[in-house]
Amino acid sequence: MAASESEHLHHGTAHGEGHGGSSGGHYPGMWIFPNPRVITRDMAGKVASMPRGFTLALLASGILLVLGVVGFVARAAADGFDDRAPWGYYMAAFSFVFMVTSAAPVAAVAFRFTKSHWRRPLSRVSELFAVVGILNIIMFIPMMLILPPIANPNAGHGNGHDLDIRRTIWFEGPVGAPHAWDLVGVIALAVTALFILWLSAVPDMAEARLTARGFRGWLYRRLSGHWYGAKKQWQAQKAGLALMGAFYFMTLIFVQFIISSDYAQSMIPGWKDSIFPVFYSLTGFQVALGTCLIILYIMRRWGGFQEYYGKSPFWSASKIQLGLTLLWAYHLFAFFITYWYGRLAVEQNIIKYLFTQSYGGLFVANLALSFAIPFLLLLWNPVRRSAWGPPLAGLSAAAGALMFSLRVMVGGANSGNIYAAFLDHVPAAAYPDLWDIFIVTGAIGAAAFTYLLATRILPLISVWEVKEGALYQRLATFTPTGKGEYLVLAKPE
Amino acid sequence: MAKRAILGLFEDASYAAEAGDALQRAGVAPTDYDFLTDTPYPEGAFGERHEGHKLYIFPLCGALVGLTIGILLTSMTQMAYPMVQAGKPILSLPPMAVVTYESTMLTAIIFTIIGIVFESRLPSFKQGLYDTRITEGYIGVLANVEETQLTEVSTLFTQAGAVDVVRENQAPA
Repeated sequence: MAASESEHLHHGTAHGEGHGGSSGGHYPGMWIFPNPRVITRDMAGKVASMPRGFTLALLASGILLVLGVVGFVARAAADGFDDRAPWGYYMAAFSFVFMVTSAAPVAAVAFRFTKSHWRRPLSRVSELFAVVGILNIIMFIPMMLILPPIANPNAGHGNGHDLDIRRTIWFEGPVGAPHAWDLVGVIALAVTALFILWLSAVPDMAEARLTARGFRGWLYRRLSGHWYGAKKQWQAQKAGLALMGAFYFMTLIFVQFIISSDYAQSMIPGWKDSIFPVFYSLTGFQVALGTCLIILYIMRRWGGFQEYYGKSPFWSASKIQLGLTLLWAYHLFAFFITYWYGRLAVEQNIIKYLFTQSYGGLFVANLALSFAIPFLLLLWNPVRRSAWGPPLAGLSAAAGALMFSLRVMVGGANSGNIYAAFLDHVPAAAYPDLWDIFIVTGAIGAAAFTYLLATRILPLISVWEVKEGALYQRLATFTPTGKGEYLVLAKPE
Repeated sequence: MAKRAILGLFEDASYAAEAGDALQRAGVAPTDYDFLTDTPYPEGAFGERHEGHKLYIFPLCGALVGLTIGILLTSMTQMAYPMVQAGKPILSLPPMAVVTYESTMLTAIIFTIIGIVFESRLPSFKQGLYDTRITEGYIGVLANVEETQLTEVSTLFTQAGAVDVVRENQAPA
């Protein structure tokens, strides 16, 4: 039986002395401490249910996925994989999905490191993106076919101005470079994220293994095996999450570096920029945090999770969002000014190609969506404190990241001769056809579809973490009259 | 004689701590009883023994293996197929670092996964003594004692304030 709202409210004060809209001092609904006694049952009910809104979202994303497959097959049938130019929008779609979904688990990892209590409702929302890592691996297979070889196949055939070996980070062409090492990186990232998800979800699966039925029960029993919540197990889990989190972050930065380098920078002859991989990672963090907040908002507003998500995750995350937005602008300027001031022919051509002429429109949209709109929204305290403000800024950043991926990846794919020494002209912009639109929307739909399916296996709340939070947080009043409500936080270590 | 498991269920953490003290006074070795919880409690919350782990050794060993593989792979490849790029030495550290970093991370991750599985004894397909009320916030004190001690331990649990005592082969609640 799923716990009713009245049961939540009735028990809400037992552990947390406050609940939802009934508490929070000047900011009602800011802090919510769910009742640990009912959360396991309630989450099991939510995972097993199929609300109408969820079914519609699954259907819509499924249709987009099918359209994406149609677009992909049509593109492959029409153009094959020999030339990278027709695949520019596929590269952009992969880049966008990869950028969001690979960086999202960092939200759980990073805020666990900092031992932030507000991150507890956010953890599982971000960790569940690990499942989309499987989609990233599948989507990366055609990316390997698109990537031209490092050695110029026409070297020594009279193309005197072309390079024998194109400029990449794989200077001396180690075995398998770049394809195998790129693939290994993407797989390692997905496997690490899935392991973090498993390790984090083991206690929750163990709790539900005796009550869950059907496939979920079978899966929980196999995956949670010997977990009983003994002290040694909690210690191993804590240390494991810390270690794997650190490795995930270190691997993510590396894989983002090779993806941005191999599929954007090295595609445009003469584009040498040490800031771009950092900029790519930063865009990933900005959009990933924003996407987690969008999901949190949707589940709070329409998904029946208002008893579990207060406004504090939005408020706390908004400050980090604002910082990332400002850093985004700083890195963009640092990249731009170097090229603008350098004034070499290749630098001027790249600026014209990616910023002012060919993809000038996309750049303006990118700048507005990734910086101007989030900045102007997050500047205001009341917006940061609201449940809608940070997700709205996140939505804008997500659209901006899509513009960014389109600009650099489509630009990279359509820059002409990849073995040229430098970009000696300003290529025209490549506009999407119907199949490209299907591919881009299909990739986003596929990611959403995969994520939605994952929520039917694991709850969107890290139950053990939320329960742990209830041990260390409560609302108290400063005076015996019940005035001056404040939050008491405990730090166990 | 084989040891048998017995599980005391407590609604309150202080009662569970009392049960732990009582077991200690009754001569049950600290390694023979454990506290089962649905969430991690602070260190020493039940007066339990300190538990160490050796998890950090695994990634260290993994990283060393990966680093060695990376250095060997890049240096041997470049020695076998020398390609001079822009006048740089055949064995240049910056390009070697790319592959070496990836191989180091990869093996460190694999070794860590093995270490976590080993340290937490996961996964296992055998179900041990457990009670679903632990998922509702009850604290389980699981003791592994001689069959002759089962009655005594059960009494200790009840005296300490256990709401229920579950034994092996007894249907869970």
